[in-house]
Amino acid sequence: MKSFGKKRLFGSLKKSLGAAAAVVGVALASPVQAGDTIKIGFGMALTGGLAGAGKGALIAMQVWAEDVNARGGILGKPVELVYYDDQTNPATVPGIYTKLLDVDEVDFVVSGYGTNLIAPAMPIVMQRGLVFPALFGLAVNEKFKYDNYFQIMPAGPEPMTDWSRGFFSIAMAQDPPPKTIALVGADAEFARNAVKGARETAEKLGLEIVYDESYHPRTADFSPIVNAIQARNPDIVFVGSYPPDSVGMVKAATEVGLKAKLFGGGMVGLQFASIMTALGPKLNGIVNYDFWVPEPTLRFEGVEEFLAKYQTAAEGKGVDPLGYYLQPYAYAYLQVLDQAITAAGSMDHAEIGKHMRDAEFDTVVGKVKFAPNGEWAKTRVLMVQYQGIEDSELATFTKQGTRVVLYPNEWVSGTINYPYAE
Amino acid sequence: MRLDAFHVVAAAVALLGAAVTIFDLLPINKFAFFAGYVVLQYVVLATAWNIMGGYMGYVNFGTAGFFAVGAYTSVVLYNLMQAPLIVMIPVAGAVCALLGLGMGYLTLRLRGVFFAIATLALAIVLETLVVNWDYVGGATGAYILRAREIAPFGDYVEFLFFVMLLLAIFAVSAARWIERSKIGRGFAAIRDDEVAAECAGVPTLRLKLIATTVSGFLMGVAGAPFVLYVGFVEPSSAFNLVYAVNSIAMPMIGGATTWAGPLIGALLLGSVQQVATVTISSELNLLIVGVLLVFFVIAAPEGIVGLVRKWRGGGR
Repeated sequence: MKSFGKKRLFGSLKKSLGAAAAVVGVALASPVQAGDTIKIGFGMALTGGLAGAGKGALIAMQVWAEDVNARGGILGKPVELVYYDDQTNPATVPGIYTKLLDVDEVDFVVSGYGTNLIAPAMPIVMQRGLVFPALFGLAVNEKFKYDNYFQIMPAGPEPMTDWSRGFFSIAMAQDPPPKTIALVGADAEFARNAVKGARETAEKLGLEIVYDESYHPRTADFSPIVNAIQARNPDIVFVGSYPPDSVGMVKAATEVGLKAKLFGGGMVGLQFASIMTALGPKLNGIVNYDFWVPEPTLRFEGVEEFLAKYQTAAEGKGVDPLGYYLQPYAYAYLQVLDQAITAAGSMDHAEIGKHMRDAEFDTVVGKVKFAPNGEWAKTRVLMVQYQGIEDSELATFTKQGTRVVLYPNEWVSGTINYPYAE
Repeated sequence: MRLDAFHVVAAAVALLGAAVTIFDLLPINKFAFFAGYVVLQYVVLATAWNIMGGYMGYVNFGTAGFFAVGAYTSVVLYNLMQAPLIVMIPVAGAVCALLGLGMGYLTLRLRGVFFAIATLALAIVLETLVVNWDYVGGATGAYILRAREIAPFGDYVEFLFFVMLLLAIFAVSAARWIERSKIGRGFAAIRDDEVAAECAGVPTLRLKLIATTVSGFLMGVAGAPFVLYVGFVEPSSAFNLVYAVNSIAMPMIGGATTWAGPLIGALLLGSVQQVATVTISSELNLLIVGVLLVFFVIAAPEGIVGLVRKWRGGGR
């Protein structure tokens, strides 16, 4: 093997280091746009596993910025969104938020989508004492205990157990109430938490757990799992799953002819237009969590105007065409920030944080009030049942009555079809 | 060991690192420390990969597995005794060295694509173990609350940057020493023709075990500070395939047969990726590694070091 001359090597090394430094230098020297604007910075999953949802959230946030600027901005200043693609990779998040704060000099930061991408930003925002509105994180603040963290997903003050509370409330209200339960979930972050909460609630209620298994997130065939559940003959089945496995689980339940009386719970993805249209009538009877559905009890002020704008903006962009699940909340967490800045009358984060802790906010997802841990003061994880779905047309899922709200009581919009097997 | 220009440069870089992190001698933006940390982390990973892949010709697709085991060793130490980083790094290195040794025993009868697949499988097996191990957070992940400041560095991330800088210097120095030693010549013999090397008396099995152990050790030490940098670790990010892809791409781009290759490749590709994240910030990001790899495979199969050699008329 030829060796490389020391001097030459040192010379080429110097050149390479110089080139790399120049590249970094360009980034560091990017001109900070001066101007009388309020800059809001964030990372968002525009590529990677959560890109579909992340892009939808970004459109919703851009609709919010247009709305705010059309009415004259906040405190008389227009708002500007500064965002980067976090690639659904937590390792990119610390760098992105430091760049936003130190190079772009944003006035506020808000989180990207999802627990894994919120948590890595926490040490940075905490160090600087910033208010931090967060989008769909599950129990992120349990360890950090940061008083300026405000999470918009309506999981409630005890997110682990509040998530499945509605599912059990509905089950135990039936006559006769169920006695046995099967718990099944993916070996991944959200699903584990959802099933853990469901297990705790089932034990408290004295339900006999006849099946309690998890499966690998890349599982493709769910028939063996559903057959194993069927063999134990549980009264109800709680599932914690991600979009691909939710589809697999629903298809398997239909093919196997699952005989449970209640089926669903924490299945992510059944709220997405593409999955609803793919599954069509197979969804009938499933009781699953949701955050917003087009039912009369949930027509909050501004939500339909927002959805109309979102649906126009989303056309042809490969994102959820309805935008019922995440998008109203992506709009709402900026509304909360907007109202808090306006009420504080300044850009002082301590003042704004105090207002966010104390006040109640009117948003497109209804009234929002935060608990001391930054979660919603009262859970509003809806349990909805898919009913009367006869085709797979997108328009079907925009109709009232296809996803009937069964829980919480104040938002109920119909009655349950029970049992699921019928 | 004779001191030469390399050692002078290494010492100067370490001193410069200390100057900017401890004494804030240069007005460097904090973002540079965050981005720099990631680039230096790739210097360690690419150098570690190159000891097996470049020097010996055994392609390891399991970098993410070793990196994650290093990271999760830190989680275990933190949960057990709130151990400081200075303890996490050597222990993570030792655990990964043992893992490398074990992998060596189990897989070194395999060659070529079969060895590569076995290392990929190892990473998947390790991920499955971590997913089902609740003590380190399982599938839901684990948090480590890092201190905001640490004396004499001030900001904790500046400390992490300095630590990773020292680890990078150590990794490159070790790789350079190996390359120039008897061991390195043995590695090169295995890469050129393993059977011929064995016949010529090169202790191939022992050398392969040394390579997997040293490579594993370096990958482990690179993973140890990761949880403190991110503050939160969960299996899908720690075992992310991007670590494996980058640690292969960087030596390929820089030049895989010499210690300078992974260093140049990591500095170049790592910096471009960091800049692209906050400038291009779209799907185009993902193209960068692929396009650069294809370009270098076609135009410069021996990487940048090979190009420079050719440009200068074939080295010494």
